[in-house]
Amino acid sequence: MLQVGHLYPELLNLYGDRGNIITFVQRCRWRNIPVSVRAINLGEPVNFKDYDFVLLGGGSDREQNLIAADLLKHRDEFAAAIEDGLVVLAICGGYQLLGKYYLTLDHENIPGLDILDFYTRAGDKRLVGNVAVEVNMGGKKFSIAGFENHSGQTYLGNIQPLGRILAGGGNNGVDGLEGARYKNVFCSYLHGPLLPKNARLTDQLITLALARRGIKPELMPLDDRFENSACQVMLDKLRVSKG
Amino acid sequence: MNLRMSAAIVAGRVASWLSKRQGHKGSSLPGMVALKIYSGTLRDLAAQVRKKIIVVSGTNGKTTTSNMIFGILRDAGYQNIANLEGANMVSGVTTSFVKRAGLSGKIDCDYAVLEVDEATMPIVLKELTPGVVVLTNFFRDQLDRYWELDKVIGVIRKSLKNNDRNTTLILNADDPLVAQFEKNAGLPVVFYGLSGSERSASTSTQTREAQYCPFCGSPLGYEFYHYGQLGRYRCSGCDFARPVARVEAGEPRIRDGVANCRLYFDQQEAELTMQVQGLYNLYNAMAAFAVGLHFGVDVPLMLESLRKYRPVLGRLERFSYQGRSAFLSLVKNPTGFNEGLADLRSMKGTKSLFFAINDNDADGRDISWLWDVDFEVLNKDHNDLAGFICSGSRGEEIALRLKYAGIPMDRIVVCKDMERGIRSVLDSRSDMVYLFSTYTALWPVHKILNSLVDKEGAYAAGGPFIS
Ligand SMILES: [Zn+2]
Repeated sequence: MLQVGHLYPELLNLYGDRGNIITFVQRCRWRNIPVSVRAINLGEPVNFKDYDFVLLGGGSDREQNLIAADLLKHRDEFAAAIEDGLVVLAICGGYQLLGKYYLTLDHENIPGLDILDFYTRAGDKRLVGNVAVEVNMGGKKFSIAGFENHSGQTYLGNIQPLGRILAGGGNNGVDGLEGARYKNVFCSYLHGPLLPKNARLTDQLITLALARRGIKPELMPLDDRFENSACQVMLDKLRVSKG
Repeated sequence: MNLRMSAAIVAGRVASWLSKRQGHKGSSLPGMVALKIYSGTLRDLAAQVRKKIIVVSGTNGKTTTSNMIFGILRDAGYQNIANLEGANMVSGVTTSFVKRAGLSGKIDCDYAVLEVDEATMPIVLKELTPGVVVLTNFFRDQLDRYWELDKVIGVIRKSLKNNDRNTTLILNADDPLVAQFEKNAGLPVVFYGLSGSERSASTSTQTREAQYCPFCGSPLGYEFYHYGQLGRYRCSGCDFARPVARVEAGEPRIRDGVANCRLYFDQQEAELTMQVQGLYNLYNAMAAFAVGLHFGVDVPLMLESLRKYRPVLGRLERFSYQGRSAFLSLVKNPTGFNEGLADLRSMKGTKSLFFAINDNDADGRDISWLWDVDFEVLNKDHNDLAGFICSGSRGEEIALRLKYAGIPMDRIVVCKDMERGIRSVLDSRSDMVYLFSTYTALWPVHKILNSLVDKEGAYAAGGPFIS
């Protein structure tokens, strides 16, 4: 049984983030991999040891501040679970939260969870639009697509990006990088949501979650015609080859 | 006589004529051209409205509510100006005045009914003084254009605050995001709302916008929900709660294209019947009724006007094709789409579905909101749903969404040729057909449908369209 945790679904549900949960769960069920989802709400106790996959989505500024305060209380357990190989997908505001800090336009320094080595500062221009990214996963290069909408600009320290920008802004619109990767943590500015159109990425997350449970990660292939064509439409629109 | 104003009006008229010749509807171009020539066009024309200007804003129901208000005022014998086709930016609002202005820059009207886009409110309120501002609801809509809901609400709040004038707010009591304006704006308020019914739920599975009190940040507790965050709420930390409504609807019954309810207002009550589907249309009617009540319009006349009301383009318009019904619904956000699915599920019989999903600027380039729609409810009546045809520039995405909602892949077809897709859904052997379309696909879908079907209940001659 894979246990999925959806962090603060009532607050962090911008841009169809729950589509990421729906996709992870369906792709397990279609393969007869037992899976269950638990919502983790504000103020509730959370034991990160119980989970195989956790989604941390994005929210509006007000909501982001509420959850930062709550998550800070579980910071050490969360960091320990990540060191232990917990599979995490953090999107947009959730991504920023895992870093060291967020610097506002008024030079106010809002501390993050300080689990991963990057920081974010408010930009004067919002990065909005469709994005294509080349990723390298399981020894294979392929392209993923999504939509970004953020004013924060993230700069990576000693940490790998999720991929290289083929079209769009990405982390900061300058260095050509998008997202971050550390152990089994995947951070990205792409919503859309991210997982449905990018089935190979989803399967990579499932594989990692199973492997951490000591289960031989040989995933049964699925009929991915719809996934591939939905992604291809966007890559074509951005004039990027699937790779 | 203001010469620049005259020049602006002439140029606007020419632009309108040229764009119509090219087959465009020309609903915002004349205003845009006129404002370029004389930036005071809107201000000067609006100042000539004899009685009051009514501004309607909010996320859903703006166009329908404006049309209902227009109908009531027209039936009460007034001369009115309106932008009823939903061109709700400054240029569209200005167009409605330019089209009715004489070449000397004079207009002749009692009321102006203006649908105004949420983000456009500050600009429009700078140019004119409304007697009434109606706020319908706030749901998430086209986020890449408007960022987050909080910001949109903040913008409207600010523009109303700067406006210490003789404006009355007509507010939806059931939406905490709207009701908060009573305290925030400090203007006189008329509330409308819906009481509990067997349809109201004790929990909400739909994505809700307002979880926390706008004043103190404590969680809002709900006695019941109607849809989205609309319902009877109370803050757990302060005295913010669903206010008492001056116009309240009770015992709603919505069946087969007819909606009924009891209206309670000013210690009176009346029966309201309309030829519409959907709970949200009761809200639209209550808002229009509250506006009429505020202006002292005769109540039986208002009820009769609402009874005669017919849906405007894409607001669950009904067509008939070889003796069967086809419904066309404009979708632009999760709440509206969920309500559309609820309508569909309330109808008995087998159905075929068609989706036209575009991602042009006016649709919102970000279509991630499709993943916030509860398509999963369709699983419950699987056997009634014969087929799903997906079209539009993002037809592939809606097909994918349906697949992950649990619809078997063999019932989902992507058909990029819209006309072929609509033909095949109409030719299916289902008892009825539902077509869902985003904004920029609506005209093409409508045009194709009209060429194939015999439409019933079109807004008859003498209708509100001023173009
Ligand atoms: Zn409160």
